[in-house]
Order: sequence, then C-alpha cells, then structure tokens
Amino acid sequence: MCPFAVAFAQDSTSTYKKRVLESAEVDFLTSYYTQDGDNAAVTGGIGTEKLTDVTPTMVISMPLNADDVLTIDAGISAYTSASSSNLDPFDASGASRNGGEDDDDFQQGENRNAATNPTGSPWIASTGASRSDVWGSVSLSYEHSSDDRNTIWGAHGSVATEFDYFSTGFGGSFSKLFNEKNTEFTIKGQIYLDQWNPRYPTELDSYLESGGNLYTGFFAGVTIWTEAGTPIHPVGDNRWSPVGGFNLIQDKARNSYSVSLSFSQILGKNAQISLFMDLVQQQGWLGNPMQRVYFKDRPNFYIGNPDGIPFYTDPSNTETFQLADDFERLPRKRFKTPIGLRFNYYLNETFVLRTYYRYYFDDWGMTSHTANIELPIKLSDRFTVYPMYRYYTQTAIDYFAPFESHLSTETYYTSDFDLSDYQANQFGLGLTYTDIFTKFHLWKLGLKSIDLRFNHYTRNTGLNANIVSGGFKFILD
Amino acid sequence: MKRLLIIALCALSWQSCTVVKEYEKVNLNDPDMKLSARAIERFETNFQVYREGASGANGGKTGGGCGCN
Repeated sequence: MCPFAVAFAQDSTSTYKKRVLESAEVDFLTSYYTQDGDNAAVTGGIGTEKLTDVTPTMVISMPLNADDVLTIDAGISAYTSASSSNLDPFDASGASRNGGEDDDDFQQGENRNAATNPTGSPWIASTGASRSDVWGSVSLSYEHSSDDRNTIWGAHGSVATEFDYFSTGFGGSFSKLFNEKNTEFTIKGQIYLDQWNPRYPTELDSYLESGGNLYTGFFAGVTIWTEAGTPIHPVGDNRWSPVGGFNLIQDKARNSYSVSLSFSQILGKNAQISLFMDLVQQQGWLGNPMQRVYFKDRPNFYIGNPDGIPFYTDPSNTETFQLADDFERLPRKRFKTPIGLRFNYYLNETFVLRTYYRYYFDDWGMTSHTANIELPIKLSDRFTVYPMYRYYTQTAIDYFAPFESHLSTETYYTSDFDLSDYQANQFGLGLTYTDIFTKFHLWKLGLKSIDLRFNHYTRNTGLNANIVSGGFKFILD
Repeated sequence: MKRLLIIALCALSWQSCTVVKEYEKVNLNDPDMKLSARAIERFETNFQVYREGASGANGGKTGGGCGCN
C-alpha cells in the first residue's frame, strides 16, 4: 500500500469523531392524572383523596460541540386536590372571617351563631386557596464525553417551587465504560436543599394566632361541639385545644444527600443487565405540616352540623368537621436504601422483554418490593405496542396508625396512608410511533417519535388512579 | 440481599467470557433495550414518589425536590 495513503488514512481516522448528539432534540411531554380514595392525609387518614394533575413539560438537548451536550428540562404540574383544599375545610362558609360576636353570656346548649356557623367535611372539597396549585421546575444538565467515549462527566442543577415548598438541587456524575463498552460503571452524587413555606390546618394555625382564646379570630362566634353533640363553653375546662406542647415548625429546611451507584453489563448479543443502588440521607422537617392527626385518648370536638357526628367517618357526612389534635410529626432524619435491577432481553424481531425489580428499606421501618414487566411488540417498522404490569408492596413505617388510633403520648405520628402497609397493582398499555426519516415537519423540527401510555393504578387501601401520558420527540434540521 | 449480590457477581464474571463487539450490538441498540426508564415514564414515577413510601434505584431522582415521601 502506498505509504502516503496509509498516512492519510491514519490522519482521517484521528480527526473524525462522531458527535455524541448529532443535532438538537426537543421533547414535548405531558400527562393527565386523576385519583380518588378515602384516606386523605390532610384530614387525618379519612376523607376524599380526589385529585387531578396536568403536567406540560419540555426537554431540549443541544450539542455544544462533538463532545458536550447541554439539556434544559422545564415543566409545570398544575393540580386540583380535594384533600389539600381541606387545609381550610370551612372556607366555603366564610369561617375565616374576623370579628363576630364575643359573647361572654354564652350558655350551654345555645347555638350562638347558627345562621353563619361554618360547615365542612373531610368528604367534600372546600373552595380554599390550597384547593389548587402549580408546581414549576427548571433543571440544567451538562455532559462531557471523552474522545474515546469511555469516560463521561456530568453536572446538573435544578430549582422547583410550589406554594408551600422551594427546592434547590445540584449534583455531578462520573461514568466509565470499559471491556469494549460491554461494561459501564456510574457514580452520581445529588444534594437537594429544600425549604418549607409551611401551611397549617386552619384550626391549629388560628388557635396559636388567637393565643388559645376561642372567643376571638377564627373561632369568634363559632360553635364547637362535643362528640355527644353538645356545644362547649370557650373558656371551660373541657374545651378543645391542640395536644399539649403544640408548636409550629421552627426549622423549615428539608435536605437530601444521596450517592447513587450503577453497574451495567452486556450479557450477550440479546441480553443486558443493570444494577442500581442509592444511599439517601434526608434530614430536616420530613413530615408534612398540612396533615392532621387525631388521638384516640383525647376527647373529640367538631365544627358544623352536630347531626353528622355519629357518622363522621362515613362519606354521607357533608357538614361536620373534627378539629385536629395536631399535625403529623416524624423524625428529623431518614436513611433510605433502594437497590434495583433491570434486565432486558431481545427475544426476536417482534418481541422484547423488559423487566425491573427493586428492594427498598429505610430506618423508619419500611421495606418494599417493586416488580415491573413490559413486553414491547413490534407491529411494524414504525409501530410498537407494549403491555405492562407493575406490582408494588410496602410495610408501614413505625410511626403510622390510622384515624383516631395514635396515642398523644407518642413522640412521632402520622395517619398518611401513603406510609401504611399496602399492595398496589398497575396495568397499562403503551404505543410508540417512530419515523427515523423525520418526514413530518413543524417549522424546522422533524418529528422522530410519538409515545402514548395509559396506566391504571389500584391499591388495596382503596386508592385508584389513572394516568395518560404523551410525548413528541422532534429533531432540529 | 444475598441474591442480589450473587446476581451482581454472576454479571461481573460474565464479562470475561462474553465480549460483544460493536457490530454485534444491533439488537442491544434497539430503543426498547435501553437500560433506563422511558422518557415518558417520568410522570408515572413522579406520582409513585408521592403516593408510595419507597423510591429511587431507577437511575433517576433519589429524593428531595418535592414535599413528597
């Protein structure tokens, strides 16, 4: 061979480098989620959990050069929640007004303010400000690949906000591929420095505001009923008050520190596997101050229609609301360890098998198993349909008990059924359309793929949910 | 836990006897063979993070960023 030709070939090889990302990609993603159940945490473990959520999102990935990719991910989540609305369940009837009659001549048995007395119920949504909200998030991530594509560095930062929460996150990652790219090891670190802007159940917040005086502020002119259906005297010994030592959140921080390890291995021409492990330390205010707790060793008090007291926990109660003993309190630290395994197998030109399993444990006493299976079926070059099934089970944390089951002597308590013992099943179907030639264009964007998914989620506590998701991937010409 | 360790060791040992060349990775490069969740799965993962006590170990977010569990 001509020596000049060899030299030229070597030079060509050394200067050519395939770009990590050939051209900019834009993903438009969205979902619509609905749920319903009877164990709302805001109302102490009973009550409607009706919720809807819409999440328009956009992800843009841009090649900065042959080696570097910048990704911007921005989205919102606009939700309406019946249980959140019951942070102030009396809002519809104007109970939050100030003033009213400061009746020193109050007599037992007298309904002082029957015409304007507020009503509320854990089973119906209020019209309060907490009824709906928008969560917004923006994140930036940057990745650099080495010339041989065997080393990848990454960094990312994010901010997210909603009416009672603000989050700042950042982190970095390092990946190494070896064994002719058959093996990959990744280590990732993430830190979230979050802050509560706490909102409290109306009666608890108002109790502190009024200095415990049930004649003023929110409580002015409002009749409070005992479980027997008789009104209490606002200054009597047997009046309602939150549990002793009641106080609001002092340290509003909630920080998360995590290290993630992952290992991927090609097992053959048709199979590959990944192992994941996260070590997550959370500290700060880990409970949710919106979520009420009712103790079984304390007398019960109500606002609204006393006729609803005997069947308070039944959805037919629409006008009676029980005053909280406290909001949930949980330890200031939690250490979580999830370990996951993903195994994919290319069965033939029509079928692929995708599987995932996760074991989880933490120092709050929860253990959990998650198993997921997906079977993509290639209907043609462009269309793939995939049925999927997910099974999930968890044990309750040590601090969970249902409505009216905790004791006021306990240090930590919650009636949030998301932390209870349960099993959940999720069934769904997905459809993918792919056009590698990107024939359809929208301005300078060529449509590469469309993804549609529907999933139905049900758990044995009675919660049911449905989610429809859609995604459109475009490539910039 | 023990089982996971055994699987990990098996996977590690596998690499010594099976090296798939780039030109043999046609099936492995199929989009459905990706060893990560699909991009569109993020919304399901998000509601699961709120509704369930366990999260993480899926190559994505590990915790924080929301007032969730």
